[in-house]
Amino acid sequence: MEGKTRIDMSRDVLIAGDYLITPLGAGTALNFRKVMEGESAVKQAYLPEMAEHPLFLARIDEGLLPPLLRDDERYTRLEKFFIAALEALIAEHDIPKDGRTLVLLSTTKGNISLLNNPRGGFPEERIYLSTMAEVIRRRIGFENPVIPLSNACISGALALTVAGQLMQSGRYEYAVVVGGDEISRFIVSGFHAFQALADAPCRPFDRDRNGLNLGEAVAAAYLTRIPKPDTVRILGTGSFNDANHISGPSRTGEGLYRSIRAAMAEADSPAIDFISAHGTATRYNDDMESIALHRCGLTAVPLHSLKGYYGHTLGASGLLETILGIHSLKTGRLIPSLGFVQEGTTHPLNIIRQATAERPLRTFLKTASGFGGCNIATVFQQTGQHG
Amino acid sequence: MIRERSIYIDGARFLSADPHSSLGEFLRSAYRMLETDYPKFHKMDGLCKAVFIAVELMTRQTGPLPTDTALIFSNRSSSFLADHKHASDIFRPDGVVASPATFVYTLPNIAMGEISIRHQLHSENVFFIFDSYNPEFLAPYVNTLLHAGRAERVISGWTEVTEERCDLFLCVAGAKGPAPHTIEHLKRLYDKEHE
Repeated sequence: MEGKTRIDMSRDVLIAGDYLITPLGAGTALNFRKVMEGESAVKQAYLPEMAEHPLFLARIDEGLLPPLLRDDERYTRLEKFFIAALEALIAEHDIPKDGRTLVLLSTTKGNISLLNNPRGGFPEERIYLSTMAEVIRRRIGFENPVIPLSNACISGALALTVAGQLMQSGRYEYAVVVGGDEISRFIVSGFHAFQALADAPCRPFDRDRNGLNLGEAVAAAYLTRIPKPDTVRILGTGSFNDANHISGPSRTGEGLYRSIRAAMAEADSPAIDFISAHGTATRYNDDMESIALHRCGLTAVPLHSLKGYYGHTLGASGLLETILGIHSLKTGRLIPSLGFVQEGTTHPLNIIRQATAERPLRTFLKTASGFGGCNIATVFQQTGQHG
Repeated sequence: MIRERSIYIDGARFLSADPHSSLGEFLRSAYRMLETDYPKFHKMDGLCKAVFIAVELMTRQTGPLPTDTALIFSNRSSSFLADHKHASDIFRPDGVVASPATFVYTLPNIAMGEISIRHQLHSENVFFIFDSYNPEFLAPYVNTLLHAGRAERVISGWTEVTEERCDLFLCVAGAKGPAPHTIEHLKRLYDKEHE
């Protein structure tokens, strides 16, 4: 724990730690290793309580949880995953839980599986995201409220930049950002009604892609303004709405284009080593991203979508995928884009098809888009050994 | 500002409907009073309709909004109305009958999407969840956005719309204006209209 007497507060907001709980397992290193080995969490399952048809999805096994937490009837399934990730992250980095630490929780639907479907004796009030957040706050012991942010599929990435902006304003010295969602009949039936679900493991950017897979994950990150080695800084970000359609992306990728341009401008146009795209594998999304990237002159940059490994994890996705991108920087290893075989977007992209030898990787761009026409782009850069 | 079945703009009352009227009837009469033609209104859920009406009225005072007017909204119940509608569609004894037109509204940020389309705003949208209106958090965040030049204007506030409650309070903040965008001032405005 650093002494408090003379701290030189960097203007930069640094990501100094992270933790993942996914169907592949607990811990970021384990997840990164399995992804580099080509393992996917997406499996075929027949879950009658969720859908009448077989599903390709990625669900977290509760067996991953510490046994006491797993059997603790005070918490819903999703809350247990949030708690486990937060407790692990806090313990690993000795994060203060007092008023200096902002806590943001990114989720699209939280405990929605309880709606019209009561289980475990939880009152309907538990569906309110602020109620769920308070349950988590009390368990962890944070002094500040846990503040939910609910902005469709960009929530996870957005929560990171919102935390960064609040820290730069001087209000907080530290932040913990956690994101997660649970698969439920509510969510499955909705995406099915949109005919957005693939009938096989998803194929981001591929010519024959035909929809997304749903996935579950909880991802957590620790931010600080205290200079430390081996961290990653948020170099620039932009978030702009398409102002076009509430459920389909803009055909010209307008909002994403503006978001990437703003992020690159704020970052002072660095060389980008790779792009972690949203790549849900729906026909429209992947095409729109190729258009936006083409407009920005970035189609030659090595690019992946991680949704082939984890499915679309909704409120966790922006954060989960950013964290894996960070580990890509740290290990110098590009993550292949699982599920891609042939070009199939309006503008061809430089899809990472296989693992490569280690190379210096310093900077990456993360993009995300969501229902409601929202978009976000963020540039992340390693601080290097001297912090 | 919308408080149950009354609508105020800058403190002046625009509409006071029968307090026992349903949310749907209230929003429809408010829309008619706007005398505007926007067919998409009728597809929206209750939350989006209420937000649409409020912002429409605001722009009649402020004039057209700059395209980088950020939207920072919040509430307690998220997309309550759409959530309940979708949930009742999928837990029926005769089987699941989900509709994309309902499901798309089961996210609280869609209201900001509708406003972006209506007013052609290419800007940052963020939706927070609180137990009650929280100017202590929102005002500094909005001010940070303005000072950092991330937005020329910001519409922010509270958009709580459920079957039982309609509690909406939005205001526009920018670099210039008649009143300071401070926590105290916002609380006064919000509470005043609670009387």
